[in-house]
Amino acid sequence: MARVPIEKGFFRVPDDPTEGPRLLGSHCPACDEVFFPRRLVCAKCLHEGTEDVELSPRGRIWTWTYCHVPLFGKKDADVAGYGVAQVDLPEGPRVQSILSGGPDDFAIGMEVEIDLETLRTNSKGDDVVIYRFRPARDGANAGGAAGGGTPAGGGDAS
Amino acid sequence: MKHGLRFDGVAVAGIGMVRFGMFKEIPGAHLARDAGLLALHDAGMTLADVDEAFVGYIQPAPMIGIKAMKELGLTGLPVTHIEDASATGLVAFRDAAWAVSSGRADVAMALCFDKFTDMTGTGGRGAGRDQIDAPILPAAYFALWAQRRMHDRGTTPEQFATIAAKNWNYGAVCPFAHRQSDHVVTPDEVLAARMVAEPLTTMMCCPPDDGAACIILAREDLVRSRQPGRPLVRALASALTSETYSPGHTFVGPVVGPATMTRDTALECYEAASLGPEDVSVAYCHDAFVNEELEYYELLGFCAEGEGEKLVAEGETGPGGRIPFNTDGGLLARGHPGGPTGVAQLHEAVLQLRGDAAGRQVEGARVALAHLVGGGSIATVNLLGVEGVGT
Repeated sequence: MARVPIEKGFFRVPDDPTEGPRLLGSHCPACDEVFFPRRLVCAKCLHEGTEDVELSPRGRIWTWTYCHVPLFGKKDADVAGYGVAQVDLPEGPRVQSILSGGPDDFAIGMEVEIDLETLRTNSKGDDVVIYRFRPARDGANAGGAAGGGTPAGGGDAS
Repeated sequence: MKHGLRFDGVAVAGIGMVRFGMFKEIPGAHLARDAGLLALHDAGMTLADVDEAFVGYIQPAPMIGIKAMKELGLTGLPVTHIEDASATGLVAFRDAAWAVSSGRADVAMALCFDKFTDMTGTGGRGAGRDQIDAPILPAAYFALWAQRRMHDRGTTPEQFATIAAKNWNYGAVCPFAHRQSDHVVTPDEVLAARMVAEPLTTMMCCPPDDGAACIILAREDLVRSRQPGRPLVRALASALTSETYSPGHTFVGPVVGPATMTRDTALECYEAASLGPEDVSVAYCHDAFVNEELEYYELLGFCAEGEGEKLVAEGETGPGGRIPFNTDGGLLARGHPGGPTGVAQLHEAVLQLRGDAAGRQVEGARVALAHLVGGGSIATVNLLGVEGVGT
């Protein structure tokens, strides 16, 4: 059973299910700005012809909220809500993404890493997936994020 | 590059709107027709007097603008369709006012309508099942602003709720508001409503709406001759911007650009009008999600950065305050169908400047400001004034 992105061109889904997804970005060779998603023309210096890059799987939460409505199209109807964040990647782009975890699992400034969430199964039996971020797992957040959060319990819904 | 326009010799000839709400059985073209006829009657005109029309809507359907105009008659006038997301109505106004100011039209109409009840599930960006930004709701996007402000400035949900209660209570005394509470709404009631995206409850978020609104602009001498004895309201200036790239821009999901777009756009509008925030008597802003209104107090120049909360605590943006905001209830209570929203703001602004806003009148109102942001990254700020202002 394959995993297919909810929309093409935004992230790569590796064949190896143990490997995480990578966001697909663009780097401007003229001014060094990096963008997500991919684009031909640099939004900053207007150079035509950016280079494809894969972006870091980790970033930091700039701001986040928890939505008290079911995630659109989600298979797991028991999950009553979901988090949404703007995540700053080290290359520069700020990415809006859903979060994997509960309403107490995140804080502004927390380090997060990318993962995949299965939204549903399509007519061919493939899993339709979207990227999401979850608390980084190697202790990078120990005592780090202001305002708490419990990354270790970061509810992996899958 | 300058984005501000100053209008010369342009007055409001007529206004009309259909009270916003859910009108599933009424075609959008009929809502538009009714708003257009109300504005023509208010102007003492027929469509034969109108030289040009700008029809705005965000509903994704071809030809609906021209079809709506045909409900008012077939006179051969040029019709231009306008779509700038939530800012559509003010952009239609801007183009109609410029058509008159530039001399190419003596009379120009901005007619906007939308039907949320027709839009559900029709696949606008962000609404489709297979789109990457589908899970990020507008409420979540603005809740992200609210959370960051709470983090940076210690703003509390109670302060957001106080603004929401103010707008609900303005809506209760405005006959054009969708939400007309039968009791005084308190901040506690706002906070106790169902949570949508923390810290925003349903009572801090605008309702879905159908509706239509129309404003007719004309040469001042024509307006004077058609409606002698009525206070003259002039279109003074307008600024419209899309986003200038800056780090932190998000390209995927709902986005209206950084909040600072409003500040830059307001400065351009003030400059075009040779006015400043101290000249403004009453203001209308994009309060689709109520934390926005707090940001705009500062960004539109009515207080210093970081002092919005103080303005709220002192009641300065409510009845009897220094700068009343959203006296028709704003997007939060008057409603937010999309295209017509900006024209509804102008409808209320004109009533205030004519002295016709019974129950919510800002005494001695001389200058009104109308601001909206639009999805995709648009901001617009517009100024209207009574006779003698800005001349």
